[in-house]
Amino acid sequence: MHLAALAWRGLVARRLRTGLTVLGVALGVAVVAGTLLANQAASEAVERAAAQLMGRAELRVRAFDPVGFSPRAITTLRQIPAVLGAAAVAERRLTVSTLPDPRKEDVFSLLLAIGVDAKDEAAIRTYDLEAGAFLTPDSPTDALVNAAWARANGLGLGDQLILTGHREDVPPVRIVGLLGDLGVGALSHGNVLVMHRSTLTTAFEVPAPVTYVDLQLAPGRVEDVQNALDRELTEPFIVETAADAARQLGRAQAGFAGISFVFGLIALLVGAFLVANTLAMTVTERTREIGLLRAAGATRGQVRGLFLRQGIVIGLIGSVLGTALGIGLAALAIGFLRSTRAVLVTGLPLNPLALGMALLMGVAVTAAASTIPAIGASRVSPLDALRSSRQPGRGLWARLRWIVVLEALVLVIGAALYPLERGEFSPLAVVGALAILVAGTGATALLLQPLARMVGRPFEWFFGAEGMLGRANLGRDRARTGLTVGALIVALASVVALGTITESARATADRWVGSILPGGYAIRLGLPVEVDALRSDFEATAGAAVASPIVEFPAVARQGEAPAQEASLAGIDPNVFEATGSLIFVHGDRTTAFRALRDGGAVLVPEPFAGDEMGVGSIVWLSLPGEEEQAFTVAGVIAYTLPARSADGAILLSLADAAERFGATRSSLWTFVPQDGITEGAFQSAVAGKAKSYAGEAISARELASDLGRSIDRLIGLFDVLALLAVVIAALGVLNTLAVGVVERAREIAILRSHGMTIGQVQAMVVSEAAIMGAVGGIAAVATGLLIAWAIVGGSTPRDFGAGLALPWPLLGSVVLIGIGVASLAGLYPARLAARTPITRSIQHFE
Amino acid sequence: MTVILEAHNLVKSYPLGGRSVEALRGVSLSVSKGEFVAIMGSSGSGKSTMLHLLGGLDRPTSGEVVIDGVNVSQLNDEQATLTRRDKTGFVFQFFNLIPLLNVAENVALPFLIAGESLGQHRQRVQELLALVGLEDKAAHRPDQLSAGEQQRVALARALAPEPAILLADEPTGNLDYTTGTEILDLIWDSCDRLGQTIVLVTHDARAAAYADRVLVVRDGSIREEIVLGRRRDHEARALIARLAALGL
Ligand SMILES: Nc1ncnc2c1ncn2[C@@H]1O[C@H](COP(=O)(O)OP(=O)(O)OP(=O)(O)O)[C@@H](O)[C@H]1O
Ligand SMILES: [Mg+2]
Repeated sequence: MHLAALAWRGLVARRLRTGLTVLGVALGVAVVAGTLLANQAASEAVERAAAQLMGRAELRVRAFDPVGFSPRAITTLRQIPAVLGAAAVAERRLTVSTLPDPRKEDVFSLLLAIGVDAKDEAAIRTYDLEAGAFLTPDSPTDALVNAAWARANGLGLGDQLILTGHREDVPPVRIVGLLGDLGVGALSHGNVLVMHRSTLTTAFEVPAPVTYVDLQLAPGRVEDVQNALDRELTEPFIVETAADAARQLGRAQAGFAGISFVFGLIALLVGAFLVANTLAMTVTERTREIGLLRAAGATRGQVRGLFLRQGIVIGLIGSVLGTALGIGLAALAIGFLRSTRAVLVTGLPLNPLALGMALLMGVAVTAAASTIPAIGASRVSPLDALRSSRQPGRGLWARLRWIVVLEALVLVIGAALYPLERGEFSPLAVVGALAILVAGTGATALLLQPLARMVGRPFEWFFGAEGMLGRANLGRDRARTGLTVGALIVALASVVALGTITESARATADRWVGSILPGGYAIRLGLPVEVDALRSDFEATAGAAVASPIVEFPAVARQGEAPAQEASLAGIDPNVFEATGSLIFVHGDRTTAFRALRDGGAVLVPEPFAGDEMGVGSIVWLSLPGEEEQAFTVAGVIAYTLPARSADGAILLSLADAAERFGATRSSLWTFVPQDGITEGAFQSAVAGKAKSYAGEAISARELASDLGRSIDRLIGLFDVLALLAVVIAALGVLNTLAVGVVERAREIAILRSHGMTIGQVQAMVVSEAAIMGAVGGIAAVATGLLIAWAIVGGSTPRDFGAGLALPWPLLGSVVLIGIGVASLAGLYPARLAARTPITRSIQHFE
Repeated sequence: MTVILEAHNLVKSYPLGGRSVEALRGVSLSVSKGEFVAIMGSSGSGKSTMLHLLGGLDRPTSGEVVIDGVNVSQLNDEQATLTRRDKTGFVFQFFNLIPLLNVAENVALPFLIAGESLGQHRQRVQELLALVGLEDKAAHRPDQLSAGEQQRVALARALAPEPAILLADEPTGNLDYTTGTEILDLIWDSCDRLGQTIVLVTHDARAAAYADRVLVVRDGSIREEIVLGRRRDHEARALIARLAALGL
């Protein structure tokens, strides 16, 4: 037998403790592996979706004008040398309904209709079909819909859909194929209808505009074709490459990868606490034994090696187990993400790199965590073997110092691996948040005594002597209790931070939607229509005080010497926006800004567009492609604006300027302000009725905000699950610590029992010890979590969290209760263990 | 004289590797109220096992124990615990005190366990501390006390609820001669002045000489009963001579 065998025997001798620790590490690694795999699934999905959207096309030529390309322009494109194939795509929104069927309720749904030429399209793109087949040129009424949408509406292959529009004699289309959730099927959140372009054109009085043409090129000719486009295409256009498309898709997913990675780190952090604590307890418990080894000639290095080996064995077993668990977790997460549609994902990718990384991180963090107790063990002197009672060890700070070092290490590893270029929150905010987490935990370990005394009062009152003893036990080894409670704080604080950030995001969404929809109601039409053609009818909507169009059109913007970039403009009625108190000004005076807008030649720019350089009074040059640039003065910088194709959102100008300077007079978005005294419900149904008569979509600020809120909630729900897994790991720590405490105190418990303490009282003592830990953890977690949320919300752009910190009160209360509940639950097993302590034997053998 | 503690034919066997070890083989005894009884014997003879059974800490394999009219061998754990709380006080060889509680709180432990507060019993705790000569150490923590002082606190605690019987297992085993004598004097005082019934386990003849009656245990049964009677001088020579005559 080698001395090293002692390491293994030490683990086997304390099976429960070893098992719990391994489980804790496994759960932590599982969260890391799970999030890495889910992220992988998300980024693969982006790649695949981009590949499917662009197909074999290398360039997408997008019409600048909302009216789309003319047939002549399409012909020009086809004739450019080196263009092997061209697929023209027409788009519009329309409402579809099912054929009247007395047995079923009619389905009404607003879809994005995509008109394609079957032959050209098939040459460029391969559609991802769950069932059925692609369109064939000879049956013009065939159509494809998203499979999930079809299922949700009780439709299947062969079912027919009526296109609601202005023409009476349009034949219904028949579903011949069901699209999967990637590529075209994912457009417009799956509310999509792919059909023949010719049918789409003839079905409505106004033909759907050809918004883009995808070009397949001969190899290596991209530049030639781009030059040819500039020369020959007379209608204004924008060129996108496949890489652009992928980047645009990827941006939407970026935040997810960053946040989920942080949660993986948190779970691992809690696991590290558990390992450090368990081994530290083992060291304290075996001080005398270690002293004997040292007395018998074992070197410091040998002793350290024993404990490091234990840590590494725990880390290895835990990490292997955790990686396997992580695959399961990833499968669940991916299934969930797919159902919410919040993030695009593929099937489960078993990426060896991600799995290897999770495994490595697990082993590394466990090994790092075990160095602390290992060093502690190596400092045990041979004299300790002779001491009659165990010394709890050196000062609190001396022991916590190592924890701080460990946490810093995890932070550094995390920061190094954090997917920086994809993150939505600044890495500084994330690192800052994690630092607060660690600092909050450390502070709690120091403040444990007074905190526990305060929090313990009700328990003492309730449980009497048992509660008092339970509380006092917490002070026995402050470093140990500090670590245990610390893990609980880390886990619960992330629940608090998450909840608070969500609440703040939701409040911001409310404010955002409220500020850009004057009156709170709007109608979105399938296509832009001349403003004057609709104004009188829209103004006649029952209960409407004002109906005001928003004229959206693309343009080119330039500032100073910077190159011109694509921008989205929107003409608004300054009087309506001013009177309804809409728009939130970050810079510039509201009254002056609206006056400037009315006077003409002025714009309101969204904050991200303004950046640091632009302020009130700056000049922006705006133009339509091929036309002369016109100077506009920035009259104000606004926090939120209408969403638009360009990522920054729309630049606002007056309706008059839009018409006179750019000839833009068509609108597909109308806002409605209700008259005073009209009820919300009545006005909403009046607007909805009007929308239906134009095959448009009625929008209300309230619904829009709650939709946004729901999609935030769904995504956050996943993170909550990850955070709760960390809580479970922390609970394992509570179980572990208490179980060890009970074993250590066997003699004390026996003395209490011999003086008449009942089994029930012993159990109450242990459970109240656990509950006090939970309560302290919960309270400290609320404080720490709020601080983190404050740092993240404060460190983010006002666009994301403009409404400031919103406090989710019910959550804050329930976190304390969760803390108490989870810890008490974890205390049940140690309580049982304590109750089973044999009195006579424990009195005889004092150790 | 009223009998306060009775044991009938106590047998205790421990399972050991498939077989069983008989630690006690049919012990019967009775202790009267106010009596001081010592149990003597060499190591491994079964003294502690006997004391545990007499105090209701453990159940006999067969036979019964009656404490102050209650047959503890028939009770479930809860009932046995409550009986202990009312009727017995224990002093063990070492580590008797709860390190988290101060001296006064340790003395009041039986009251605390019963759900009462230290405040309710402050008076009694003071009396007990005075009895063991530790009035000025009420606020000290156990680790600030010497071994002898710790045992005094343990004694005060065992006497606190005025138990029917005080059971002590080698209470002086860890102490030097002078300190041990002080503890034994205190125990004897409580018997003589307060009429406390005492069962003391020891392997030391000088300690056993404090008792009115000594039971000699060997191989799990009582071999000899030596009656000394109440004596103020605790003279051990006579006892030692009797033991020597028995080959001990
Ligand atoms: N839990 C147990 N399992 C097995 N055997 C036991 C157990 N407890 C005691 N014994 C055995 O019973 C016998 C009596 O033990 P006991 O502790 O009563 O002796 P003792 O007289 O108190 O000895 P000492 O003076 O050393 O304290 C011994 O042989 C011991 O080995
Ligand atoms: Mg003994």
